[in-house]
Amino acid sequence: MATARTILHADMDAFYAAIEQRDHPELRGKPVIVGGDQPRTVVSTASYEARRFGVHSAMPGVQARRLCPHGIFLPPRMDAYVAVSQQIRQVFELFTDQIEPLSLDEAFLDVTGSQALFGDGEAIAQRLKAEVLAATRLTVSVGVASSKYVAKVASDLRKPDGLVVVPPGQEREFLAPLPVARLWGAGPKTQQVLQRARLAKIGDIQQQPLAELTRVLGEHMAVHFHTLARGEDPRAVEPERQAKSIGHELTFAQDLQTRDEVEAILLQLAEAVGRRLRQAGVSATTVRLKLRLPDFTTTLRQQKVAPTQDDLELHRTAVRLCRQAWSGRPGVRLLGVTAAELVPAATGRQGELFGEPPDKHTRVLAAMDAIRDRFGEKAIRHGGQRRTSTPFGPIEGA
Amino acid sequence: MKILCDRTQLQEAVGVVSSVVPTKSPKPILHNLLLRVDDEGITLFATDLEMAAKTRLDAVKVSRKGLLLLPAREASALLRELSDPTVTMDSTDQRCRIESGGGSFVLLGEDPSQFPEEIKLVSNKRVELPAGRLLRMIQESAFAAAREETRYAINGVLFDLAAGCLRLVATDGRRLALSYQNIDAAQAEFKVVVPLRALTTLSRAIPEGSKDPLQIAVGDKQIEFTFGKTQLISQLLECRFPDYEGVVPKAADTSVEIQKAVLESALRKTAILCSDDLRMVKFEVGDQALRITAESSARGRADVSVDVNVKGAGGSINFNPDYILEALRVCQLDQVRLDMSDDSMPAKFTLGESFTYVVMPISGT
Repeated sequence: MATARTILHADMDAFYAAIEQRDHPELRGKPVIVGGDQPRTVVSTASYEARRFGVHSAMPGVQARRLCPHGIFLPPRMDAYVAVSQQIRQVFELFTDQIEPLSLDEAFLDVTGSQALFGDGEAIAQRLKAEVLAATRLTVSVGVASSKYVAKVASDLRKPDGLVVVPPGQEREFLAPLPVARLWGAGPKTQQVLQRARLAKIGDIQQQPLAELTRVLGEHMAVHFHTLARGEDPRAVEPERQAKSIGHELTFAQDLQTRDEVEAILLQLAEAVGRRLRQAGVSATTVRLKLRLPDFTTTLRQQKVAPTQDDLELHRTAVRLCRQAWSGRPGVRLLGVTAAELVPAATGRQGELFGEPPDKHTRVLAAMDAIRDRFGEKAIRHGGQRRTSTPFGPIEGA
Repeated sequence: MKILCDRTQLQEAVGVVSSVVPTKSPKPILHNLLLRVDDEGITLFATDLEMAAKTRLDAVKVSRKGLLLLPAREASALLRELSDPTVTMDSTDQRCRIESGGGSFVLLGEDPSQFPEEIKLVSNKRVELPAGRLLRMIQESAFAAAREETRYAINGVLFDLAAGCLRLVATDGRRLALSYQNIDAAQAEFKVVVPLRALTTLSRAIPEGSKDPLQIAVGDKQIEFTFGKTQLISQLLECRFPDYEGVVPKAADTSVEIQKAVLESALRKTAILCSDDLRMVKFEVGDQALRITAESSARGRADVSVDVNVKGAGGSINFNPDYILEALRVCQLDQVRLDMSDDSMPAKFTLGESFTYVVMPISGT
């Protein structure tokens, strides 16, 4: 590495739950669990009070309720969290433009070039914590290190409201006493393998010759962990890696021949995209179509739409784009539908006086999502896949 | 032509027809007014090809007859600035000399023979009502018409005359305003959509509360309004107006009576804290009380409770506050009524003796 980098990993403490406690003082000091409030949903965030009962993110709501029966379960208020996330982002931007958001509540910041202005990594981290608190009345834990990996481990070490600085050159000492579960990429399976080889701590891995590790883990994993354990992670902070779009594409074993086939596949893709938009709580304002012919000519088309997360609206737009992009000559090798220019989804919807009540349609989509949550992604599909109309009206231009 | 006339009367007449002159047109000749001087007076005419206005001025001393085109903007600006009670206009070769109070001005016109012909409307579908009444009906309906220029938007107001009742209806698909008037003598029936612009222009020519008669004549493609010596003729919008009667609720689970001023004030206050992406306030109707709340994740919350008269079960419903505020602005009643049922069904506001307003709620929160 040419010069030592200074990287901050900033991670909001129990983000969703902390916002709820901030906005509803009566919840402070109580076990608050965001998500998991409906059957078959999982916990998004648990407050520190709830974590004491063993409740954690991604845990099924049923299990969380068993562990913490008097917990306060709340439905997520995504628009509120997105708004706070934007405030935090503005604070980050005070210190550097090299920001890589990982989600609404955490980000890497490369402040190497900012130290002349704001002092060393620790000083920047302290100011950043104070600014976040002032702007949002929420606490953030920050790790400061020479690489993304070490900064991330550091930020997690003294939560909440933590600040852990790992000076350059001390990465190995810092990592040595930590359990191997802290290694990026060490899932439950790998951890078992490492346990069996009596490698419990990262320090144990540091002691192992690469050849020995290779015998245990295979070459690929061995090199990965060998490097990480020494605190080496050359990955750069990549600004704007946040999901800007959600897309699906399919390459076909046999080229598609007819419009009906093509448009049926577009519906399938639109359904998959719509589902992920709804899961992420965002709406698309641009729909993109990708179409590849057998000779590998690839066409991209896009169109602006009013914010939507509706499968059928995505499909209608994709079909319209497809009619512009494809002559109809038999042979389509690949199709893709992407929702881009994502915006937070509105929580309500203005009703229409005439025509199909959009609200009814929204309820249909929610019901379909619930069925998929329960029985799997293929449990239910929109009908009319081999027709040019859907139960909600003709596909425009049909 | 050469005339001598009262300056104020001429200024008013020029003002009336100037209101249809386009500000920007690919046909520059349309920026002019046509003056036709005969033995008895002047007829003034202007058009933008979608509508045309015509008015007549009789108290004129005519020395020489003739036709003349005058640049509309300059003519009205000049007449406004002059202070003498009378004005003399004398034109030769498309140049018009205007003299008044010691000043002398020359306006360069264009060739009158190039100006579009006046349209004569042939129709036996006629109806008459007091001008001030029609003005109210326009005020009570036009605000709800679509302003955006999308393919499906109807930028106009439906004039529906049937069974001796004239209804003016406007909608942007989310709310609908309906103002009606019984016209006993009316035999005719018509159902046409009049462009908003024509109604705005017409409104400017009618004094508030005027009892003078106004005639409406409807042809195949045009509608004509005659008020005193002024006529406004407009193309009709060729569009299918949705079935408005089907969306006006016939019954309600809950009726709320509330002072207009109280509702307006509560809405203004709560609307401040609506979120930007979705303008929404929540109405919660309880026991003789209405609670209106709004919340913006970025800015804060508003919570206002007011006393009301409630009949029925109560319940909650979400609205775009702007829709209601816009309607209250043209409402002349002290006490208004809200009839509501399900939070996903249209709600009905009664805002006048013959003024009904239907608003679709915001749902899915």
